[in-house]
Amino acid sequence: MANNVHDFKVVLVGEGCVGKTSLILRYIENTFNSNHITTVQASFLKKKLNIDGQRVNLAIWDTAGQEQFHALGPLYYRNSNGAVLVYDITDASSFPKVKVWVKELRKMLGNDVCLVIVGNKTDLEKERHVSLEEAEQYSEAVGAIHFQTSAKLDEGVEDVFLGLTNKMLEQAAKQHSRNETLERQGSQRRNVIIVDDEDTPPPASTRQCCSHF
Amino acid sequence: MYATKQPSLRIKQADLKCKNGCGYYGNPDWGGYCSKCYRSSMEKDRHHRKSDHSRSPVPGFSKFEEKKRQQTDKKSKYLSFAPVVFRRTSAAKDVGRPERHHEPRHTNPEMEKLELEYMSTYIHLGRHVRDDFFKFVKFFNVNIRNEMNSRPIEEVAVVAQKYYNFFANRINSHEIYSKMEQETKDHLIDFFEKFSMTTLYSILFCPHTTNDEEKDLAIQRRIRQLSWVNAHHLDCCISETSMEVRDLVYAAITHLLGMDSVKAPQEKLSYVVRCCQSVVEVLRHCQGGPVSADEFLPALIFVVLKANPARLKSNILYVTRFCNDARLMQGEGGYYFTNLCCAVSFIENLTAESLNMSEEEFQGYMTGTITSVSAWESALVACEGMHQLCEHLAELKGLSERMDSVQEGTLNLRETMEAFKKEINAKVIEIRESTPLIIKPRKIPISLDKQDSNAANLPSPLAPTVVNSSSILSEQSEPITIPITIDTVADETDETTTQTHFYTQNLATQELNLMDSKKGKLQLDITPCLPTETLKQSQSNELLAYDTQSLDGFITPDDGSLLGLSNINYDIDLSDLSADNSVADELTPEKKKSPNFMVDPFSPLSGPCNISQSPLIPSSATDAPIASSSTSRELTNDNFVLPFKTEDSSLLNTQGNASIVHLPSPIKPHTPHYSGFSMQGVQIPSIPCNTGDYSSLNLVQQRESEATTSGIGDNSKKEENKSNEKVVKVLGGVLDTIDKLF
Repeated sequence: MANNVHDFKVVLVGEGCVGKTSLILRYIENTFNSNHITTVQASFLKKKLNIDGQRVNLAIWDTAGQEQFHALGPLYYRNSNGAVLVYDITDASSFPKVKVWVKELRKMLGNDVCLVIVGNKTDLEKERHVSLEEAEQYSEAVGAIHFQTSAKLDEGVEDVFLGLTNKMLEQAAKQHSRNETLERQGSQRRNVIIVDDEDTPPPASTRQCCSHF
Repeated sequence: MYATKQPSLRIKQADLKCKNGCGYYGNPDWGGYCSKCYRSSMEKDRHHRKSDHSRSPVPGFSKFEEKKRQQTDKKSKYLSFAPVVFRRTSAAKDVGRPERHHEPRHTNPEMEKLELEYMSTYIHLGRHVRDDFFKFVKFFNVNIRNEMNSRPIEEVAVVAQKYYNFFANRINSHEIYSKMEQETKDHLIDFFEKFSMTTLYSILFCPHTTNDEEKDLAIQRRIRQLSWVNAHHLDCCISETSMEVRDLVYAAITHLLGMDSVKAPQEKLSYVVRCCQSVVEVLRHCQGGPVSADEFLPALIFVVLKANPARLKSNILYVTRFCNDARLMQGEGGYYFTNLCCAVSFIENLTAESLNMSEEEFQGYMTGTITSVSAWESALVACEGMHQLCEHLAELKGLSERMDSVQEGTLNLRETMEAFKKEINAKVIEIRESTPLIIKPRKIPISLDKQDSNAANLPSPLAPTVVNSSSILSEQSEPITIPITIDTVADETDETTTQTHFYTQNLATQELNLMDSKKGKLQLDITPCLPTETLKQSQSNELLAYDTQSLDGFITPDDGSLLGLSNINYDIDLSDLSADNSVADELTPEKKKSPNFMVDPFSPLSGPCNISQSPLIPSSATDAPIASSSTSRELTNDNFVLPFKTEDSSLLNTQGNASIVHLPSPIKPHTPHYSGFSMQGVQIPSIPCNTGDYSSLNLVQQRESEATTSGIGDNSKKEENKSNEKVVKVLGGVLDTIDKLF
């Protein structure tokens, strides 16, 4: 595809009621829980970014956070470039969930996926139940960036997605170079080789055709 | 290539032999048989299946979809036998695959339609593009068909994706397409997919090599089993009775079902998107605000459960395999499709736990021991009556809920009302206690009586003075004397204070009627009405009179013995009945200045007073006064005095001149030819402005009647008017003189 356009899929993961939707709405629409939101749905949103001349299309996928839908996660994660894992700093039980998801994402997508862990609702600092140090330590351990946000007060929301996008761009560049070196090597299935072999004739033939015409 | 058997470390030779024991080597792909035995076993199998088919008609015949599927099922199974015989590769994992010659080679109407579509949409791109496009489509077609014969569907899908990418790259890079805009290129890529997939649909959708169909049936059965699951179980807020919501849900269901009716993966995807948008609409209707995934997924699951779309799994797999990955993985379509996959996956793995209910309950529902009939299910059942029943039940439930809330509201309202009442009562009591009602004696407006009585106690400051001495009178040929009223508050003793007395206020320039001094007040204003010539003369007299008489009055007005008139009260009351109390108010300062000032309060009468009845009628004196005027001082004195309470001493009364009494309101201007009275001189009493009370009037009238010696002439009134006018004039003169005096 075009050189400078990156299409990134970002999944938004987190327990119910941690503020995923508020976060995404704040980012996309810069509104909080108000009635004049033009978006009908807050589950799938797109955002165009331009970072250092690189055009980035973010497709943000919201996921259902309820426990009963937990098993469906892998379907959502498929092919995603990044993930935003949200927890509620006032809800101690929401952070362990993040750990579960991190494991799952790593298992599914390997190290290619860029993770961002977000502690939301900093406006309720008084009722904090997840310590900042713990969260930061853990994030570092799993190679994720940690952010603190308040969707209500619009604090740090932009940074989350900017940070993630930068990381994804890095990752994309890394992957690109790796792909170049590993091209035509084992990462793909062997029939691909056959297909590739078969691929070549059609262009040739069409070219011939074209030249004939 | 692949071993279907679990490979063991050591394979004995026996393991490699045909299972039939014929001595030949077997092949794991042939189920461990040798080629000959495998063929015979398949033959047997075929017979077995055929009989199976004839024996067991599909139970769910009522559904058209079911039938249709059954037909394809049959066909596929039938077809599957043929290739077995001719199979060349051993790579088959599944039952079999169709032979090439079964594939439709003819250009079907769909192809033509697509070609037409291309022509109409992309003809402007030129012949080169068209040729290239169709060449590629054909190439793709042929290749995929070949692939289908040799590879499992998943691999074919990978190949297809490769071709998509290849075509996309070609479009983006090849010179033929260089003139096109990116958007058109994207469209062309999509159209390429649509074109080729529509033509290949029959072999790629639900291919016979897979068990997609079984999965379809499984999921359908599963959904049917779960038909009891309603919105409540899924924690989603779809209201079941609202017509709007229901319509939207039906729209969503229709779109979901429509997915099966189109062939291209992208079209199917668009149906999914439409379905999901309807779901979003539903949610927006039910809860408002933007819809997040937390609410969306349960609602979608609900819709899928209620729709129970045909060949759901096949469709999903087909889209997953053959939709351009570049498209599928981004954009709304991809997201919603993923959600649909999630919903299906959820339904497949649905347990009691995922519905937040106990295992027994779940099992009860699943086995049908517990039945819940909701409006939704019944709507899907053909029985209209049942459906209506359910709807009515749901509606009744809603109504009763509303009624409850209304009742609750009424109770609340009543409570608040009572509380309010209590509060108000308490407040009223509190305020009453804090500020007790003291009934103060009613303020009685200062009545003239009181004023009067006060004034009565006080000696009247105004002492009428006789300005004209008899000599003057005699000197003057025709002294015009305007009758001056002297109001006496006659008998205090007679009349209680409450009774009102009205005294006209007159300017008195004449001497007081001393005869009346029964402690009575002489309140009189005398307006001597003298012709100018006489006035000058009289002034000197007046001065004398002041000197002699009024001095006393100054000093001791109370005495009432001699009330010299030093000052003139020229307060003419023009309003007979007016309630003007101003005189009283001004009393004190006036008094200081002029002790002679007569408070002459007149107050609105307690009783009606008619001016016409005013007792003092100077004009009445038309005749009588003349007679009396010149006679004596006494007479003159009497003239002032007032009829209300007159003593017998009063001249008028003594004279029995009734006409005096009859005079109407005194204030009317008098005509000048009243001069005839001048003989009386100054002693003609002026007209009282206020009439007395009835009692006095009555008295007067009595007297009048008693004393009617002379008839009352009509002209007397006119005369009176004239005299009044004169009074005013004289008043002015008097004022002047007083000014001079001071």
